[in-house]
Amino acid sequence: MVTAESEFGPVLIEADAITKSFGGAVAVDNVSISVRAGEIYGLVGENGAGKSTLMRVLAGILSPDQGEVRVDGKPVQPGARAAISAGISLVHQELSLVPEMTVAENILLGSFPTKVGFTEYRKLRQIAADALAEIGVGVDLDERVGRLSVALRQFVEIARAVAKKPRILIFDEPTATLTPAETDYLLAMLRRLADGGMAIIYISHRIPEIFSTCSTVAILRDGKLVRSSSIDSLTPSQVVDQMVGRELGLDLATKRTATPGAVVLDAQGITAPKVNNVSVQVRSGEIVGLGGLVGAGRSELVRAIIGADDRTAGSVTLTHNGETITIGSYQSAVRNGVAYVPEERRIDGLALSMSVEDNIRLPNRKELSVAGFKVGSKTAQVAQLLADKVGLRPPEIRRDVGEYSGGNQQKVVLAKWLGRRPKFIVLDEPTRGVDVGAKAEIHRLVKEIADQGTAVLIVSSDLPELLELSDTIHVMRDGHVTGTLSKEEASEKSVMSLASGETIVRSS
Amino acid sequence: MTTKGTNAETTMTEVGATQKSSIGVAEILAWSSRNGVFVFTALLIIAALVFVDGFASLINVTDVFHRAAPVGIVAVGMTFVVISGNYLDLSVVAQVATAGVILIAVSNTHGIFIAMVAALMAAILFALVNGIAVGVFKANAVIVTLATTFIGLGVLRYFSGGSIFFGPPDGIIKAFGMGKVGPIPYSAIVLLVMTILLSILLNRTNFGFLIRSFGVNESATRLGGSNTALIVFGAFLVTAIAAMVAGFVLAAFSNTAVSNDGVGYDFRALAAIIVGGTSVFGGRGSVFRTLLGVIFVSVLTNILVLSGISFGYQQIALGALIVFAVSLDAIGRKVAR
Ligand SMILES: Nc1ncnc2c1ncn2[C@@H]1O[C@H](COP(=O)(O)OP(=O)(O)OP(=O)(O)O)[C@@H](O)[C@H]1O
Ligand SMILES: [Mg+2]
Repeated sequence: MVTAESEFGPVLIEADAITKSFGGAVAVDNVSISVRAGEIYGLVGENGAGKSTLMRVLAGILSPDQGEVRVDGKPVQPGARAAISAGISLVHQELSLVPEMTVAENILLGSFPTKVGFTEYRKLRQIAADALAEIGVGVDLDERVGRLSVALRQFVEIARAVAKKPRILIFDEPTATLTPAETDYLLAMLRRLADGGMAIIYISHRIPEIFSTCSTVAILRDGKLVRSSSIDSLTPSQVVDQMVGRELGLDLATKRTATPGAVVLDAQGITAPKVNNVSVQVRSGEIVGLGGLVGAGRSELVRAIIGADDRTAGSVTLTHNGETITIGSYQSAVRNGVAYVPEERRIDGLALSMSVEDNIRLPNRKELSVAGFKVGSKTAQVAQLLADKVGLRPPEIRRDVGEYSGGNQQKVVLAKWLGRRPKFIVLDEPTRGVDVGAKAEIHRLVKEIADQGTAVLIVSSDLPELLELSDTIHVMRDGHVTGTLSKEEASEKSVMSLASGETIVRSS
Repeated sequence: MTTKGTNAETTMTEVGATQKSSIGVAEILAWSSRNGVFVFTALLIIAALVFVDGFASLINVTDVFHRAAPVGIVAVGMTFVVISGNYLDLSVVAQVATAGVILIAVSNTHGIFIAMVAALMAAILFALVNGIAVGVFKANAVIVTLATTFIGLGVLRYFSGGSIFFGPPDGIIKAFGMGKVGPIPYSAIVLLVMTILLSILLNRTNFGFLIRSFGVNESATRLGGSNTALIVFGAFLVTAIAAMVAGFVLAAFSNTAVSNDGVGYDFRALAAIIVGGTSVFGGRGSVFRTLLGVIFVSVLTNILVLSGISFGYQQIALGALIVFAVSLDAIGRKVAR
């Protein structure tokens, strides 16, 4: 049911009746889509609907069980190289850069320009510089990627796709880690690339972005294409309903029951790389939000507070039932009831080639053992309970985490810590890549643990999320707190004005 | 212990191999790297029974196990270091010899109990140095353990003067070396008991779980609230204690010990571990697989010996086997993603 929009060019890419299964499970089921030059084609669906799988088929990384991919009406040969030479380029959902290498090297990874076997570094830098200029991002070509913020890494990832001079550019949830300003920048960039004649496929869980940017939207549910039509013929709530396949009775504004009690976490004068003399207090039952642009030092601050990274100055205490302890090492923090959901789930949060059960077991191992020996039945029971609680789909705790879709992997990271009834929990981008329904569910869970008395410190680039959850918001810029807003004072505008002053991206 | 992250490989798959849904050569190779040892060991034993004269005798079979025991005991212990993602512990060469020399030399002067305690101290010292350098300072395990091999052998030669130590002809050590339960030599029983104990340690305890988890993702394991330096030390300690036991068993065989006793144990133990299907990339493997690897390598060597093939060719065969098994492991890892 693709509507022929006259304003666009000819069909560039077609996926014809693609089917792909893993083991017995069908991930993509007989899906056909086609995208025209100059079109921005939105693709939405719940976690595990098959979006990334379909895109990996288009990019030649997975070969389909059935169906074929055509560019300009001609079938694309199997393999990632063939797809690239056909002009298809994919910006992966998960960052795939090599932290030890420079920005320029990462952009051309796997396709270094060579002359009689030697890398031509001048040409390499030139191509990398051109790609960055095309997307209008200023970043030092010789900086090691490991030192960049997640947002900048995301843009380097995009430059890498652009450097291949694609005609079809696919974005798999590029905005999951970005703040509103960066998101706006990215969306403007997409429009510019599309106006230049590229065909763009765009995946996001943020429905407003789809409506502001895409001309067509395709909805996947359980691997099947349930609808593909012009954006004008749909409303946002219709899109969500079709994604979910039922009326989503979202009770968005779950009421909080508890009022904040005594101070649980007291961090004074925290100084660390990118963090300059910041003090934060969180009360029992209180949710404190950290706002600011990506790169403002929020993740660095929370990591320094709980001891996950070293701090150069500052003291942190945790008080519970009148007893105060000083938090030094991260290990002692965890032992004393601190929980941490990290920003980079695949690096810091999960052992991908281990089962869901084993991942949940890691922080809970002491409670799930007797004298150091695992209690198998209890471990399985607790893991299943927590997996169900976060709505893991499918809820099979024996499967490797790496086999789950991005959003479902995020749920596993949450499940690891929720069972511990932490006294203090740090949530860094807790709903990154999570679909609308699951996000509402996670918000409900966060409020629930706060109501049970946990002190919550949350970092989120998703402003509506931050506003909805936080009782107090500290806004950071350049490693300082530039202002503190109560729930009444906080709005998108007040947060952004405290946060801005500079942006990480400069327009070309 | 560098690229524990997944970045580099993701990139490789993107530009390189395409995953096929139909079963291809790569999948078969990957399957073989995980399960091949079961099939190959069975085939090898059947082939030996049918074609090799002298293999199927009770004396020969018990002799194979008897000879395999010291290397086997080292290998089941070193499996912990490999699964933790630290490749291997080369210093078992020095550890085996140190344990044997201390056992014989000290029991001649101070009695066997003091000798065993002294050997245990030496084992703990090895584990401490390896564990601190690799676990705390994040130094490369291969280089650190190469260095501790030098230090260990140097110290041992200094004190022993390179001479051979003989135990008393009627002592308990000699009795143990010759001892049997029915037809089964004590050495084989020690190997079996070590395998069972270490298997329980790896699969049923939190310590073993942390070893595996650390081998898969170091950062996530640390952020799960565990002391990673302790995990690394633990892996080296298990290896050191196994190497000590192996040194005792080996010394008891001949009732003698000399500082060269452990030469070749590093490589032969690693061969058994890899052939058993434990991944050198860390995270995946088991102690029982290593035992199977030990059996495979020993039976193969035995067949070569019985067929009158010279030592040089035996070495070539073992080397070739390792290259093959390691390549299978690498392919299996690539296909698995
Ligand atoms: N390598 C794999 N092995 C087994 N199953 C897989 C594998 N990759 C994906 N799947 C399964 O295929 C289905 C679709 O996954 P996919 O990653 O395409 O979802 P998605 O729509 O991108 O979700 P998300 O929004 O969470 O990123 C899921 O059920 C997932 O568990
Ligand atoms: Mg996805």
